[in-house]
Parts: sequence; C-alpha cells; structure tokens
Amino acid sequence: MEDLILTLKKQIIEALNLEEIGPEDIDNDAPLFGAGLGLDSIDALEIIVILDKYYGIKLANASEGRKIFKSINTIADYIEKHRTK
Amino acid sequence: MIRVLSSNIVSPLGDTLEQNYQALLAGHSALAPYENWHGAPERFVASMFREEQTEKLAVDGFTRFESLAIRSVAEALSHTDIDVSSPRTLFILSTTKANVEELGPVPDRDRAYLAPGDTARKIARHFGMTSEPVVVCNACISGVTAQLLAARLMESEYYDHAIVCGIDCQSLFEVAVFLSFKSLSPEECRPFDIERRGLNLGEAASTIIYGRCAGTEDGQWKLVRGCLDNDSYHLSAPSPDGDGTVRAISSALQAWDRDRLALVSVHGTATMFNDQMESRAIERAGLSSVPLSALKGYYGHTFGAAGVLETAVVMRALDDGYILPVRGFDEIGVSGRISIDNRRRETSGRSFLKIISGFGGCNGALLFSKEADIPGQRAADTVKPSVMHSVHLTDSSLNIDGREIPVAERGKPLLTVIYRNMLEDCPRFYKMDVFNRLVYVASQLLVKEESPEDRDDYRAVVLFNGASTVVADRKHIATVSGGEGFFPSPSVALFTLPNIVTGEIAISNGYKGETSLYILDRRNSPLMEQIVEATFAGSEARSMMTGWVDCTSEDTFEADIRILTI
Repeated sequence: MEDLILTLKKQIIEALNLEEIGPEDIDNDAPLFGAGLGLDSIDALEIIVILDKYYGIKLANASEGRKIFKSINTIADYIEKHRTK
Repeated sequence: MIRVLSSNIVSPLGDTLEQNYQALLAGHSALAPYENWHGAPERFVASMFREEQTEKLAVDGFTRFESLAIRSVAEALSHTDIDVSSPRTLFILSTTKANVEELGPVPDRDRAYLAPGDTARKIARHFGMTSEPVVVCNACISGVTAQLLAARLMESEYYDHAIVCGIDCQSLFEVAVFLSFKSLSPEECRPFDIERRGLNLGEAASTIIYGRCAGTEDGQWKLVRGCLDNDSYHLSAPSPDGDGTVRAISSALQAWDRDRLALVSVHGTATMFNDQMESRAIERAGLSSVPLSALKGYYGHTFGAAGVLETAVVMRALDDGYILPVRGFDEIGVSGRISIDNRRRETSGRSFLKIISGFGGCNGALLFSKEADIPGQRAADTVKPSVMHSVHLTDSSLNIDGREIPVAERGKPLLTVIYRNMLEDCPRFYKMDVFNRLVYVASQLLVKEESPEDRDDYRAVVLFNGASTVVADRKHIATVSGGEGFFPSPSVALFTLPNIVTGEIAISNGYKGETSLYILDRRNSPLMEQIVEATFAGSEARSMMTGWVDCTSEDTFEADIRILTI
C-alpha cells in the first residue's frame, strides 16, 4: 500500500503538472478538490486517465469518481480493490 | 448594416444549401456510429463525409480541409457577381483546428500541414483574392464571431464585401479531445432531452457572402447587430445561470420586441451543462415563448462551421415559414422554461436570434431580420485608441511600458521566474502549457501596471496569433498515436483550443467583455489595427487588452500586448 500511494502521488504530480509539489507535500487524507490541492473538474478527468492507463480501471465520468477522488487514501483503496493491471 | 448575398452548405447531406435544406425537411441526418475508429477505444456517433464524398469533393493540390472550404466558397460565389479580386473583399475563415489532421507529433512527421493563417491565405489565393484573410478561432462561437467581425469591418467601411466560411473536419485529433472531456454521446444526440448523454461530432463547411446595405431592404436577410461577451466563470463549463448569454441576448435585442422573433437558434449541443444553461438564459431573457431551433440532431457539432451553418439553415427555413423539428428531442430535461418541439412548426416571423456559447467562457448573440426599414446602427466612427500600458515579453527579454527589465533565464523557465518574482500566486499557473503561461504572465504584468481606478470589468480581450496552439497540438497527438496506447490527457487537450488564453485572462481578472482570438498568417499591424478599431466602433467596449501572442516551441515565443482605451 505504501508503494502504491507513493507511485500514485508521483503519477498525479506528473499528470497535473504540479511542479512545485513533492509526494511528501500531499497529505494522504487531505481533500484533493476545492480546498487542499485545489484541483478542478479537468483534473478529475485527468485522474480518470491515470486509473485507466496504469491500473486498467475504467470510470465513465467524473461524477462516478466523486467519492473515489476524495483523498489519496480513498483513490489508493479503490485501486487495490479494482485494479486489472 | 450588412445583408446576405449568398449562402452555401457542404455537408454529408449535400453540396448546396438547397440540397441540405431538402434533406432536413425529409428528416434526414448523416449521424452514424463509429466503433474502434482509428484506434479510439470508445464508440461515438458523428456526422462525417463518406469516403466517396470526400473523393468527389477533393481539389487537386489541396488537403481535405482546404478542398471542402474551396467547394463551399466556390458554390456560394457562383450565385453572386462580387469582385473577389478587389482589396475591399474580405475573406474570413472560421475554424477551430483547420488543417490539424495533417499535423504530426513531431515536425518531420507532418503531412500537408499548414498553420491556420497560411491555410486561409492558400484558399484565398486560389480564388484570386488580394486582401489579407483573417482566421477566427473562438472555439464553438467562431461562426458567430466571424459574422460579427464581417459586420464590424464593413460598417467601419474597410471592406465592401465579406466571404465568411465556417468549417471543421473531424479526425482522431478532435475525437480524442472530446473523448478525454467525456462529452461524446455513444448514441445520436438528444438536445434538451432528459436522456441526453453528450454531443456528436460533425463535419461541414458553410459559407455566407455579405454585402453592405442601408437596412431598408424588404425581404432580404440582414445582420442587424450582435454582441459577444465572457462568463468569466470557468474555462470548460458555462456559468450555470447563463449570465454571459443573458447579457449577450439583451445587448443584441435591445428594444427589439420579442414578438417579432420567429425563433431562437440555439447552440443545443446536447451536453448536460450547455443545454441546461441555455434554457436558463432563454427564460431569464424573457424568451420562454419563442420557439427554439436546434440543429445538432441533424449535423452534430460542426465547431467552426456551426454558427454559420445554423444561420444559413434557419434563414432558408424561415423563407418557407418553417421552424424545423428538433431532431433527437423527446422529453424535456432542462429546468429553464423553453418552447421546443420535435415536429415542424409554421411561423410568419421575419426575424430571429442566433445564440452560441463555447470553451473559454465565451458567448455570442446575433439578431437577423428580413423586415424592411430597420434603423441603422450608430455611425461607426473609428477612433484611434490610446495606449495605457504595454508589455513585450519574448523568450529572452522583458519590456514593461518601455522599460527594459534585465532577465537571466531563457525560454520556458523565464516564464516561471517572472511568475515567481513578480506576480501573485495563481494555483493554475503550473497546470498551464507554455503558450498559456506566456499569455498569463504577460497579461498579469500589464494589469499590475494599472491603477485600481482604471480597472474595467467589461474590458474586451482581443488577441492575435500565428502558430495557433501547435506546441499543445503535437503533445496531444503524441498521447493518441504514440507507443503508449490511446490515453488523451484532458488538460493537454484543453490547451489545444487557442482561445483558452483569452478565457484565462477573463477569469483571472473578472473581465466580462468580449474575448476573441484571431489567427493571421503573419503579424500584420495594419490589419490588427483595423480589427481593434472596428471592434471598439461596433461594440460597447471602452477598453481592451490586445496584441500579438505567439508560441512556436517551448523556447520560442513572444507576447507584445497592451491595454487600450477610447
């Protein structure tokens, strides 16, 4: 799980171009959207691409991801349970 | 005022306006499902030319995009006797991506790619035109922007005739952009319907030729006036209450009696957000009882063509006294009160409103009428605007209001250094691609020079560009045709829309005035001045952020912009 969380953070930082942020700056439980990292709807779509590309998980739209994308921990949990690669 | 001299549509439904109109009357559409199309993993529905149609339309020595434009312009010209070779005949190409299907992920894999301005010039020269063409690249509202630009430039007496061609082709490039946004419907689109699931893509070219007129001509279609503005809300979603659309409508209608409108020709993309927003805007503008015309269920979303094509179709249908059925609509699925029907309706109305909204937060509304004796717009006296502040930022230099600021970095890192040292925090900065960073940094440096009392919430943003978004375009192509499979990135895709830079300025500064992006084949100061002066004369804008912004690689860019007032 630790490894998955670190990899996931690196993938998000790269995909979202969060240049000044390191994996250690993202709290595993902090909200990703709104407050926290301040991500928006396009970023949610970007995380859908990460799930598809690296973990073989397909989500139809961002609203399906609303609960899953709460924090790094909730995304990692979801990946553990549903990954196909 | 300007009036329509001739119109054409080349679409999968036919090569002339009449063929298209007869197909619509018969309820036809070319929408068809595509599965595993060129490696796209998801099914989508689109209205695209069949191979034999493309072959029939091909013009020797021209790309598919150019051939289509040439066919449309040539057919429209065949019904007029205007002098195309006159320097007072203007060519406006309305397109979001022009020849992008010829672009490769790296320059040596380009096919017959030309930048949009060069493409327009090539088409114009084919017809012997001698004036410099303008490409309007304002996302979905390009076709409305292009017609309003024609009106402004002719009312300011720079030109006597304008050939406005709206066109886009669909390729894996566009399919990937809209799949990444999750906005494509897997079935035929259903505008304003409770079960709508997104948009369908469409290919078409549509041309309207305009000439100047007095406004007295009975029975001839005239563009009475129009308005463009920005929601200043979000780059990829409209303001939920349709604030910008409501303002554009009221500015286009002014005191025009709602009962004189035969219909409102809406954008009606069949996405959740667009249709809901438009219904709210229509109700708020007092147009709930005016019938809607929505054509995406026949043609799909034809991007740069949409605003021109939908105008041409509505004029033809109203000449017969018809409001065409809203194909795809069945049960109301929006909260704003609207008058919509999937059966043909009859009308004796002789005026209509065209509304449209697009990425980057831009909205537009145009009022058309064939009534007689419409009072002309106020005399379009152009005045020389004054320069309030200027910023000239290149990949290796910075000059603010004539002061040279020494810089240590070069290329993209220079933009980050200036942002960190000179500008306030903006969480979005790091998500921007190099072109957006360039325009963001230059525009915020400009705003910083301004004193608070000079701030103008309705400031227009009118930018000119040469290379379109070629850096983001190549990056996007690499995400769908590289070795890693088909994984288009929505944030890269967003930056392939050139007018996003103008939307970012509007959002960052709360500007609600018009935002437009024009592409030229080269930096052409006299033409840029004409457009700026005609925009001031033909709109309510009293100040404007404008200039040249161009980025050809991560290390080669220039923004030379200023704040003007009149």
